[in-house]
Amino acid sequence: MKALIQKELRENLKLAVLGLIVFTVLVMLSWRDYTGMMKDVLLGLRSLEGYRLQPVESGLILVGTAWLCVIFGAVLGWMQIFNERHRDLWAFLVHRPVSRTQIFFGKVIAGLGIYIVAAGLPLVCFIAWAGIPGHVAAPFQWAMTLQIAWLFLAGIAFYFAGMLTGLRQARWYASRALGLGLAFMILLVNVVPNWRSWQILVVMLIGIAILATAVWGGFHSDGHYKGQPMLGKLGLTASITVGAGLVAFFVAFLAFALLDNFLPNLFNSDNQRWSAHMMTKDGTIYKEIQGGHRPPEFVDLDGKPFIDVKTGRMIDLEEFNRRACNKTTSIPIDCGKQSLKRRNPPTFFTFYQATPDTIWCYWNRYGRLVGYDIATRRFIGSVGPNGFANDLSGGGDRFNTPDQDRYPSVPSRTLRTATAIYRADLQNRAIRTLFTTEKDETILGATDIFLNDNDWDYTVVVTKRFVRLLTPDGKVVWKTPYEPAHPDYNRIQISFLEAPGQSALWFAPSHSANRKADWKLPTRVTWLARDQGVVKSTDLPGLNLPRSKFPHGIAMKISSLLPPAFWAAVYLDLDLNVDEIWPAYWWILPLISLAVAALVWVPAGWWLGRRYSLTLQAQLGWAVFHLLCGIPGLLAFLSVQEWPARESCPNCKKLRVVDREHCEHCGADFAPPEKNGTEIFEPLAAVK
Amino acid sequence: MNEQPVIQTRSLTKYFGAKPVVHDLNLEVPRGSVFAFLGRNGSGKTTTIRMLLGLLEPTRGEGSILGYDIRALPPEARARIGYLTEEHQLYGWMSVKECGGFQSQFYPRWNEKIFRGVIGHFSLKPTARVKDLSRGERAGLCLGLTLAPEPELLILDDPAMGLDPVARRSLVESMIYLTRRSDRTIFFSSHQLADVERVADYIAVLDHSVLRACCPVEAFRSSVKEVRLRFSGAPPALPKIPGLLQAFRAERELRVTCVHYSRATEQVLQALAPLQMEMAPISLEDAFISYLGERGEKSFILSETEVQP
Repeated sequence: MKALIQKELRENLKLAVLGLIVFTVLVMLSWRDYTGMMKDVLLGLRSLEGYRLQPVESGLILVGTAWLCVIFGAVLGWMQIFNERHRDLWAFLVHRPVSRTQIFFGKVIAGLGIYIVAAGLPLVCFIAWAGIPGHVAAPFQWAMTLQIAWLFLAGIAFYFAGMLTGLRQARWYASRALGLGLAFMILLVNVVPNWRSWQILVVMLIGIAILATAVWGGFHSDGHYKGQPMLGKLGLTASITVGAGLVAFFVAFLAFALLDNFLPNLFNSDNQRWSAHMMTKDGTIYKEIQGGHRPPEFVDLDGKPFIDVKTGRMIDLEEFNRRACNKTTSIPIDCGKQSLKRRNPPTFFTFYQATPDTIWCYWNRYGRLVGYDIATRRFIGSVGPNGFANDLSGGGDRFNTPDQDRYPSVPSRTLRTATAIYRADLQNRAIRTLFTTEKDETILGATDIFLNDNDWDYTVVVTKRFVRLLTPDGKVVWKTPYEPAHPDYNRIQISFLEAPGQSALWFAPSHSANRKADWKLPTRVTWLARDQGVVKSTDLPGLNLPRSKFPHGIAMKISSLLPPAFWAAVYLDLDLNVDEIWPAYWWILPLISLAVAALVWVPAGWWLGRRYSLTLQAQLGWAVFHLLCGIPGLLAFLSVQEWPARESCPNCKKLRVVDREHCEHCGADFAPPEKNGTEIFEPLAAVK
Repeated sequence: MNEQPVIQTRSLTKYFGAKPVVHDLNLEVPRGSVFAFLGRNGSGKTTTIRMLLGLLEPTRGEGSILGYDIRALPPEARARIGYLTEEHQLYGWMSVKECGGFQSQFYPRWNEKIFRGVIGHFSLKPTARVKDLSRGERAGLCLGLTLAPEPELLILDDPAMGLDPVARRSLVESMIYLTRRSDRTIFFSSHQLADVERVADYIAVLDHSVLRACCPVEAFRSSVKEVRLRFSGAPPALPKIPGLLQAFRAERELRVTCVHYSRATEQVLQALAPLQMEMAPISLEDAFISYLGERGEKSFILSETEVQP
């Protein structure tokens, strides 16, 4: 095997060097992008861009790594087979006294070695550079590099998929590339929003193992399905099924989209219209009804059309938007904990503020603001509720995770613990308490309000009992009870009206509570004024929501064509709350899918199996497969099986397949070729 | 000596699509023989060889090589079989020496002397790149790589294909000189009948994917006869002759080539009342061409009036 590995390394040396150069260029570009930005910031030529603070998480390195790993992996795998594409050269390779498994491993060890050196080495150097203090003025955790690691791993999946594409001998030429579908799905695993690292790793490794098994099987049969070990057949079928499923899904999606475009009434009807409450700048509430391929309509709470006095007709969208209150802000409740627990990619730190010489970030691991000197890019200290400390953890005092985007356009000005709101004075590395809760009160959420660009006007603080509006110096503008109460009502919005000092608070029910009540829970709106508190309050009736209708949208219809195995996989993801996504109808889609598979794809597969003259055992195995995998399974079956020739049986006159020793109908042997009287046969003796 | 055939097939069949390319092949290759596998282009020789070496899955039937099932040849069997491919493909970026080095690492019985001997015979420079070698030189290198492991069975797929006469002669000489060992078997396909005549003990002939002959070379040659008949006028219409391969009519002559010439055949021909009837000597090449050429009667008589006295 050593000779084989050496041969492969030598044969693909040019590709390895090319890969190394390309990945090094990517790394150098990322390095230059970051250092260039920091130099400009230092010289005051531009302001700091939060999303470029940590280069190992920057879009440039992630997008570049994704593309390059995919392309390099696939090309490398394919080239390792393509180099021996000539039938005789392949024969020269495989006709040597080593097993096909050894040849497979020889190629794979060399290929992965090249991949690791060409792609991995520059990336590791880049990560090491970013991790060494003094290079990057931002928090660094090894877990931050997982995104790059997953992309690197996805490249290995593409390596095997490329190899499979090169190796596969297929009846349908295009089906050779179907293995790439599984690799693509492995790449997509990276961006499943709720998955944790171990889940991603396990699924990726399983996918890679399936592809590797398919390639290994292909080496045993020179790329054919027939003649492979059972494990190889299973790997190949699984790989092809995923690819076929992906192709079928896109074809179905395109077909539905075209139909929907040209025949909108085919898929949309009146019952697919839904509505939402909107508020105008003067505090009046209207209902907007939209959907169903019709322009939106606006009616008041009594159902009367909102007439535009200028035109005398119902107000149009443009005019309504001009009158609508656009200063509405949501106050996230309990989001900090949830977002930390379930987010992919996880947020490790949030850019907070930049002072002239320091970058301040909120680091989730320590729950504190950490500062980095812009010039030296070194850590200078951290700020917690108890003030500044020279180390990362201080006295162990922590802030709650800010409820904001990872790289907010306007960073929040306040920080909070469970019982207090703080304002950081980072120029002086100091902290000031703005607000402390009353006894037994816990803060559920707090949001800074910026009514005019970056001017901090208010902070809304929500506790379990009250909602308060604070000024930047901590003065309470108004305080109103949290009613209806948490947790059934957990969606709170505040709208600032045109009249000075006037605002409206929206208390909307949670999805789960509303669903339990059959979407009939009202939304409470309370109008408030400075110094007066609550002016009035009203309950808005439940709305006609899009999710309450079934079926709706192209995706939902395509979903019914998805194989039952897909639904099983979806429901196996225990953290996914299916009931929340497809309320009340979650069981219908798998049922339709199963029925379609049982009534269409299984009989079709059975009929094809008879045409292939499969054994009963094989027929039953494929029937179960078609039941689970639906149309992708049937496509995979067609693309892996070789269509056997048939000829008439001289005994029973029925057509019989030629790859059996006996007629499958009557059991007769094949007749020897007819003699023509010119045959010359003599017994041969061994030569002594 | 083990009398078990080195290669044995039973009803070996291969279809490409709906077309049978090897049909019900029953073949036995005796140990120690030089066995020529003949047939026209597309008759199924290469396909058979590829099936024998486990490089192609048979559609049906079975076979064994050195006692191993051809569907599952283990590495130890491959170590005992030398295989020279049709087009002498090798890694173009390797040098002659590197090719030897690469190959030698897989074969514990690698004989460097043989390798050097063969590449010396073909005047190959060890440092020359494979991609720069001529077709004949590449064939020589392939032969060296195939012979140096000292295989028990040598399978050569049309080793002289595309070679000029000098290179072909070199190749055959190497084969004869270096492979004549009592326990070594050579199974080769070829279109070069002069080479076959020089080296082969046995031949098997595939005709349109069907095995039509399998016998010693001499038996084949003696089975195919050419008879010349002279007539006073145009030769008469030919009656049905058993084993007829070809009949050639020209002027006042009729040449009949057939297999299994017998007393009955002679009586049928005598009944045509020829002025003269004689048996013509026939070479293996002529016999082979007659055997594999188009069957039936050919005429070079332009018109009946031209042949009148």
